[in-house]
Amino acid sequence: CSRLHTKPSISPTLLLSNMYQRPDMITPGVDAQGQPIDPQKMQEHFEDFYEDLFEELSKYGEIESLNICDNLADHMVGNVYVQFREEEQAANALKNLTGRFYAGRPIIVDFSPVTDFREATCR
Amino acid sequence: RSRSKSKRISGFDMAPPQSALLPGVTPPTGQLLGTTPTVPGLF
Repeated sequence: CSRLHTKPSISPTLLLSNMYQRPDMITPGVDAQGQPIDPQKMQEHFEDFYEDLFEELSKYGEIESLNICDNLADHMVGNVYVQFREEEQAANALKNLTGRFYAGRPIIVDFSPVTDFREATCR
Repeated sequence: RSRSKSKRISGFDMAPPQSALLPGVTPPTGQLLGTTPTVPGLF
């Protein structure tokens, strides 16, 4: 969306912008070399990513929920939302993830105002 | 899950190639560039 969402100064939820990249991000169902991708491979790729994230994030606190936007549209593409039990845990994760890399790309991490993912829509 | 036995390396802290990491860095002197710059009108 085109709205400017304000970032809270503290929140139990973190947003990791554009972190997940689908193997078929250029053309759906096809990899960067133009070869069709097995849907099972796609699933494994996603699960590996999820596992990596879960393992790393668990170091900083108890994870309430971990949402990965596995979409192809520009909006929110590959965004990861992680909700910790406590704000301090999210703050700790933010501090520890800032300036690091994942799979050759910088991690962009911010607090997110989302606390209930069923209600997470633009307002 | 038993899959964790063959856990591959995490993507965390996988830094990008040096050239991508430091875009402002010039190659060391004496290093040949891959391409010859084309100057229009010169042979």
